[in-house]
Amino acid sequence: MEFEESGIGEECGVFGCVAAGEWPTQLEVAQVLTLGLVALQHRGQESAGIVTSDGASPPVYTSHKGMGLVSTAFPPEALLKLRYGNLGICHTRYSTTGISELQNCQPFVVDTLHGRIAVAHNGELVNSRALRKKVMRHGVGLSTCSDSELITHLLALTPPMEELDTPDWVARIKNLMSETTTSYSLLVMFKDVIYAVRDPYGNRPLCIGKLVPISRLHSPGAEEEDTEGWVVSSESCSFQSIGAKYYREVLPGEIVQLSRHGVKSLSVVPRPEGDLPAFCIFEYVYFARPDSIFEGQMVYSVRQRCGRQLAIEAPTDVDLVSTVPESATPAALGYALQAGLPYMEVLCKNRYVGRTFIQPNTRLRQLGVAKKFGVLTDNFAGKRVVLIDDSIVRGNTISPIIKLLREAGATEVHIRVASPPIKFPCYMGINIPTKEELIANKPEFKDIAGYIGKANCTACTAFIQQAHCLICWILSQTTNIYIRSSQYLTKLFTPLKMVPGLSNYMQKLQCSKGILSNRAELIKSSA
Amino acid sequence: MSKPEDPKVTTTPHILKEELLAEGKWVKLEQTTYVDPAGNTRTWETVKRTTRRTNTEADGVGIIALLKRTLHKDCVVMVKQFRPPLGCNTLEFPAGLIDEGETAEAAALRELKEETGYKGEVVGVTPVTCLDPGLSNCTTQIVLVNINGDDVQNIHPTQQLEFVEVILLPLDEFQSKVDDLLQKEKIIVDSKVYIFGMGMAQAFFKPRELPVLKQ
Repeated sequence: MEFEESGIGEECGVFGCVAAGEWPTQLEVAQVLTLGLVALQHRGQESAGIVTSDGASPPVYTSHKGMGLVSTAFPPEALLKLRYGNLGICHTRYSTTGISELQNCQPFVVDTLHGRIAVAHNGELVNSRALRKKVMRHGVGLSTCSDSELITHLLALTPPMEELDTPDWVARIKNLMSETTTSYSLLVMFKDVIYAVRDPYGNRPLCIGKLVPISRLHSPGAEEEDTEGWVVSSESCSFQSIGAKYYREVLPGEIVQLSRHGVKSLSVVPRPEGDLPAFCIFEYVYFARPDSIFEGQMVYSVRQRCGRQLAIEAPTDVDLVSTVPESATPAALGYALQAGLPYMEVLCKNRYVGRTFIQPNTRLRQLGVAKKFGVLTDNFAGKRVVLIDDSIVRGNTISPIIKLLREAGATEVHIRVASPPIKFPCYMGINIPTKEELIANKPEFKDIAGYIGKANCTACTAFIQQAHCLICWILSQTTNIYIRSSQYLTKLFTPLKMVPGLSNYMQKLQCSKGILSNRAELIKSSA
Repeated sequence: MSKPEDPKVTTTPHILKEELLAEGKWVKLEQTTYVDPAGNTRTWETVKRTTRRTNTEADGVGIIALLKRTLHKDCVVMVKQFRPPLGCNTLEFPAGLIDEGETAEAAALRELKEETGYKGEVVGVTPVTCLDPGLSNCTTQIVLVNINGDDVQNIHPTQQLEFVEVILLPLDEFQSKVDDLLQKEKIIVDSKVYIFGMGMAQAFFKPRELPVLKQ
């Protein structure tokens, strides 16, 4: 919950669609794109943009960008203008600290030597500063400070091996990927295809769906001829609302071509020196919608398992378990199930109150939080409560909540956080406040209970399955950690669930990289 | 100005007699003797179908069927077939004659299923209208039908008639799609179809740019 309060945000959602079969298509591509964006609205509310193409040679691009939510950014006249597209890509943008201007809105459309391309990007390039200088040294002038414009220009540069007249987009994209290793999930629209690209570390999510007739959506195997189109999205939660079946993830480093003929994997760029993938862990913790699927698992289930693990690691003697609505609810339910305690709602959230981080100072911010929640006194007066939150950042959100609950009559308030404390900033596109502001870095952290106000607080120290980007989290002194390069950290704790191939993966790790001392136990327990 | 004692002679036109000239299996030719509005007796050569049923007013039905699929453009179901009287292909709405004991609605759904394979639902029907009043007494009722394209039976339907080609045309670009077809091949478009297209174009028309901005 605190992420939402602090204004830490995911920086965007991308979505694309190609109609299958004959063109001009009878599929309403613009409507599919709009519905896809609406489903990704949680990834960005600042602005949205759509670009559709008729896929001809040369193609005619129609685009529309607007500020605000998808419903306000795209009035009916705009959708009317877009409806002759046979394919298209679109994007929702999150409020960053920069200026929100229409020109910064994606997708970007540029003319290259071989024709017009449109680009939609999710993520932040780790070496953007150096890369900007490099691009400008080539004589390119940049008009925004966004990475996405940078990517578009890098794609427009002619790669060394390309012949004069034939565009080799795989080579161009590979060239881009060699210039910058992370983080980006990218959609590039050119002529009559969409290239879906994921950085070699797979830091940002990207997955593919197949549009089928509504009545076939839930039948086991749809035939080839049923395919009405292909969609690609940051999160799979968008598929249900447009009648698409989840097809597969775009693999880290993969370049996939989506056309009216189908999905084709063109290349998989390997990571340097056999590095591990680094999917952003906060997609699981907070950002993604609970019904999205990553790495073959549903986000809701992962959050719930964290709640269960939290109950194992940090049990409490209380009367009821509750949540800070709404992102912590799966974890709270998991905690309650594991602990065998009743789950009750204690807070009522006003979803129409905007983010409180806009308030200038801490005191007002805390008042703001109180405006956002009401207490369901009947449910907990005279009882001992454990409140589960999904993450803890500054500690500013949880303090007023504790106060609210105690004043309303809770005899004891315990806080359990379903993820490790955040200690470090993120270089990959999530703006976490500076190191100094993070509560985990404050000397008071040792006495966190006292700091946030007379509540018993423990953060879950166990996490997860495969390698993820965990750069923001604490390094526990008690656990053996395998530290990689300064770019990201990898750690393996006791796995909460055996994912297919996990034991193979761990064995490979053991061979290639050196061993955590309790690795043998881990492998045994996974067999 | 006529004097009040001289009433102008006006008659309601009416038929005096119908004389059969020739009869085939499906069509017959009659000579119709009638009185015109001025009171004069005249004749007219009239074509009639031999198949008109006793309890129905119209000879046949025409069907305007809209195929509705989720996230797809609404499409009108058209048929293309060879028509001997013209010696070439035509583009028409699916149509057929009303059988004995059938209502117009029932005939429409039956014909639609036979010609195109789609199973639809009637949403409206026009009054009895004439087809070619200078030539024949043939009448038709146009039946408006919606087809639920999401229903399993309406996905890739099989038609029962081999020589009829089913063509789906998006409703909002109907006239331009018909014009495209005319460009591509030698077909004659049924007049009901073309008028319908013109009406749709008029209804959907929205000025896309202000004239004053044109260079």
